[in-house]
Amino acid sequence: MSINQRKKPVTIVSGFLGSGKTTLLTKVLQSEVMRNTAIFVNEFGKVGLDHHLLQRLDESTVLLGGGCVCCTRRVDLLSGLQSLLDRIQRNEVNVDRVIIETTGLADPSPILFTVLTDPVLQHHYYIDQVVVTVDTVNGHFHLDQQPESIKQISAADQVVLTKVDIADEETVKSLKARIVGLNPTVLIHESVYGDLALDVFSYHPGIQAGRRPVAIDRMTEEQHIEDTKSISITFDRPIDWHAFGVWLSMLLYANGEKILRVKGLLDVGEDGPVSLNGVQHIIHPPEHLEGWPDWDHRSHIVFICRNLDPEEILVSLKAFQQSLGAVPRQLNFQTV
Amino acid sequence: MCVLCGEFVNRIHWTDLNRSQSGENIVVGESQKQRQQDRYRKTYLANQILTFYGLKLEDWIGSKFILRDLKGNTEVVQDIGQLWPAAEKLSKRKLDPLDPALMQFIIQNQKEDMP
Repeated sequence: MSINQRKKPVTIVSGFLGSGKTTLLTKVLQSEVMRNTAIFVNEFGKVGLDHHLLQRLDESTVLLGGGCVCCTRRVDLLSGLQSLLDRIQRNEVNVDRVIIETTGLADPSPILFTVLTDPVLQHHYYIDQVVVTVDTVNGHFHLDQQPESIKQISAADQVVLTKVDIADEETVKSLKARIVGLNPTVLIHESVYGDLALDVFSYHPGIQAGRRPVAIDRMTEEQHIEDTKSISITFDRPIDWHAFGVWLSMLLYANGEKILRVKGLLDVGEDGPVSLNGVQHIIHPPEHLEGWPDWDHRSHIVFICRNLDPEEILVSLKAFQQSLGAVPRQLNFQTV
Repeated sequence: MCVLCGEFVNRIHWTDLNRSQSGENIVVGESQKQRQQDRYRKTYLANQILTFYGLKLEDWIGSKFILRDLKGNTEVVQDIGQLWPAAEKLSKRKLDPLDPALMQFIIQNQKEDMP
């Protein structure tokens, strides 16, 4: 039984200015299935969102000790989610899920941090997924110019390429390759006027953890030289979960700001794998799944690093292989 | 809440979550043997790293961990998450699993452990 069964799922919708977040949301909210969705938005765009459970947030943050940007508490969100919880428990509203739309420039990690670490919120909400919209026409430009957009991509579970109808095929292809290069674990959709919105929001990475990170062919990375790189690692046999936990917590403590994302399924010698998902310092509570999603029972974990050579992670895992009880190996090519 | 020291423990570190805790009901005192074994295992694993920095971690009656340096300075830590900042404070060194010197030390120790 899942630890999250009684909690409300929270979906974070992020994406650059004008990349179609609101269009996507407008489409979703028209659907009957999404009627009991509470929405938090940061800015009211020109496209009017009309919904009975809409709430506006004025972004205000509190930086916690340590000064790392990802460990920032969003006070506005905290009080927003708390008052929503209050209303739910008074039976004033019926809420099945929560959607938080961030501003275009926002880094999604403080939202994750707020929900996963607050003493009250962590027992009533869980982060279901992060959806990031990317304007296909200006996608490359945003990724080149704005480091925040790279953070958004690396934190994403799903990326929606918008305005595909007005972009040429070559751009779509190269943008896809670039996004997969940045985050091999992500699921990419192509969308015109938010037409795929329902598909996107009805996908639950937690339930369908079967989707494995796609190891990418290095040749597809083309000419973009990124300071963000990823590595896919597998192990030759089940690993010691405690040893991995000790190693990973130390790694994230020392290099949390450089490790944008950790995601994967780990074979720890139980019936099912452990599903691991972390954004910078913040690790979602790992889920011990009942069974493997498919025939492939190998561990597979992806690290997305910025300003850090991902090879170093592999070298370190190799040094710790005796404690881990398994030999790590890099996965280079498309295996799915 | 820790009944011994009155400290408010408001979150469970992700390394302390295991299969038995992902169920809906947790019975008090259930699977204590497993929990204690897990704590000893984690203490052992952490000490493989901490020895390099001149530190030692001990389990304190299954409730907290005590981190000591060679001069007898101590820090009480709740979980593995709190261990690293405390270790950095005591050793006054930057702890990093990517540090080549640490990796060399771990590999050397593993060789010595081999039968």
